[in-house]
Amino acid sequence: MRVVFLLLAFAASASAQDFTYRGFGEVRAAVYPQTTPQDDDRVAVEARFRVEPAFKPADWLTLAGSVDARLDNLEQVEREWRLDVGDRRLRRPALSLRQGVATVRKGTVAIDIGKQFIRWGKADILNPTDRFAPRDFLEVTDDEFLAVTGVRARYERGPYSLDAAWVPVFTPSRTPLVGRRWVPLPPETFGTTGFVDLPAVFPDRSQYGARWNVLAPGFEFSLSYFDGFNHLPQFTAQPLSGRPLVALQRTFAPLRMAGGDAAVPLRWFSVKGEIASWFTTSDQADDVVLYVVQLERQTGELSLVGGYAGEVVTERRSAFAFAPDRGLTRAFLGRAGYTINATKDIAFEAAVRQNLDGVWLEGQYSEALDGHWRVTVTGVVIGGDEDDFIGQYQRNSHLIGTLRYSF
Amino acid sequence: MSNRNTAGLTAAARALASRTLTVAAVALLLIASVYAQNDARAIVEEAQRRAESKSQRYEGLLQVVDSKGKVADKRWLFTRLGSHGRSKSVLRFVAPAEVKGVALLIVNHPDRASDQWMWTPALQRERRIALQDRSTRFFGTDFSFEDLEERDVNQYEYRLLGEQAIDGAACWHIESTPAKRKISQYSKSQVWIRKDNHALAQVESYIKTDVVRRLKYSDFVEVQGIWTGRRMEMHDLRRNSRTILALDKLEYNVPLKEEDFTLQGLQNPL
Repeated sequence: MRVVFLLLAFAASASAQDFTYRGFGEVRAAVYPQTTPQDDDRVAVEARFRVEPAFKPADWLTLAGSVDARLDNLEQVEREWRLDVGDRRLRRPALSLRQGVATVRKGTVAIDIGKQFIRWGKADILNPTDRFAPRDFLEVTDDEFLAVTGVRARYERGPYSLDAAWVPVFTPSRTPLVGRRWVPLPPETFGTTGFVDLPAVFPDRSQYGARWNVLAPGFEFSLSYFDGFNHLPQFTAQPLSGRPLVALQRTFAPLRMAGGDAAVPLRWFSVKGEIASWFTTSDQADDVVLYVVQLERQTGELSLVGGYAGEVVTERRSAFAFAPDRGLTRAFLGRAGYTINATKDIAFEAAVRQNLDGVWLEGQYSEALDGHWRVTVTGVVIGGDEDDFIGQYQRNSHLIGTLRYSF
Repeated sequence: MSNRNTAGLTAAARALASRTLTVAAVALLLIASVYAQNDARAIVEEAQRRAESKSQRYEGLLQVVDSKGKVADKRWLFTRLGSHGRSKSVLRFVAPAEVKGVALLIVNHPDRASDQWMWTPALQRERRIALQDRSTRFFGTDFSFEDLEERDVNQYEYRLLGEQAIDGAACWHIESTPAKRKISQYSKSQVWIRKDNHALAQVESYIKTDVVRRLKYSDFVEVQGIWTGRRMEMHDLRRNSRTILALDKLEYNVPLKEEDFTLQGLQNPL
């Protein structure tokens, strides 16, 4: 809370041109028509308040922050009101510093220091090169990006830009809570009555990465390299001696990635592609090549994106991992959006596995009630086979209503 | 015999005279057309020359009025570095709250369509606006992405259609057609340029034979030697909606930094 007051104090002393802020308060309710074998809850309600101030104390320095406060009914949010900075806990923090970054700019060089979002890639639904981008997957189909803590240097000259990042503190993706509906396996699957979540084993070395981007006339492309860890965990399960419980531990496989992405806007549609080759030294994770090819077309107020995400396993090793990025491959992906008027829009998204073992469909209607209030209704339908990454969530189709006040 | 010869000669002379007159008329029309083209181009060149500035900054107050009369207010900050054809612009929304921080970078080129990228803070990513996207309305306003580009005189061919008054001010009425290399959603435009100050008074944009958008300028003031219509009203005739853009705190030749007009600069919230 002190951070918020400090930032507001800055605001009071700064001129309007040096200070800005944005934020929102929202209430979101998700209704699940079906229960799952391990979870009887059908309604998940979460209230969230976010403030994002930015302050420019000098021409060469910008400070930007984002603080979230949350409360929910299913205890997916912690009940402890302390400011969380690391984003390493299993549950969402009640109060968190979502972003806190100082940007030093001098000519064509910018250096970002602190907790920040680093987003790579050009495709829309899946980004295999986006390795500094852990997510909150507590509700797998309604994920949100988490920031990482480190230093990023950006150099831009003419059509060329170079982006180099050093992330000494590891931020994992937040995975579904054991015993809840987004972990579809009931304890009986493991011949036990329950799980014990052991503390995760976090990597103890830094992560590095670089991306070179070129904006050529009529197209753009980039090449990227990453040396770090997969932000999605692998699980090791061990029976606890003398007790009918299984201990689960999260570990994070070392990962090297070499990839590239490109976008070519043509007269009738744009072609976007992204490919990444992942290598690991872990004996429990696979080496894979992931790729996405998509076409994008805008016709008046209608936008259409359609593509295919593929995966080639170059070396298979046994693993029990939670991998939504790979779970969305070998699938046809699509998105359609239509702007009805200045205040209303609708959108549809879909992922259909090529063998039809998993189907995820999402439809959304959103309407701005005025300059501050917006209501959004989202329907998600999931179907398929229990052995498929998407299909395993077949009992998690749901309806979400969100009311947001932006300021 | 003699009469027949005389009659034959007269008919031949008439035919020759008729052909000569036709050729002369066509030649005159061609010459007039060339002059009209030259005149039209010269007028547009002069209008562009008078509007030339090293940079520009304003706060835009927008009112979007839909076909049912419902009004939505928006506000953006606009900065431009350079002028016509070689300029770069950044447009950053400051209101309403839900789009605050969304920004658009436009890099204009003298010989081809502009490059445009949009930065959305909620996604923390910039997104290239594809060429065919430019007919899309920009964030629910009646301006399309293409309408936000700066028109350069060399990207169009011109024809003087005549003179006409707009809001009581005498104007040149000019037709502009995109040059072959220029990719545009519009097949042609009709432009009215005020004779007293060479400022744009009205632009009607056509798709095939239909007027689809009408942009009308008013509230003319001279700011640092440049006559500018501080009020623009864009009427989308197909949707029957309109957007009124009022320019506030308009300044020309303000010191701006090149690095603020890059993808890196686009991400800066201030």
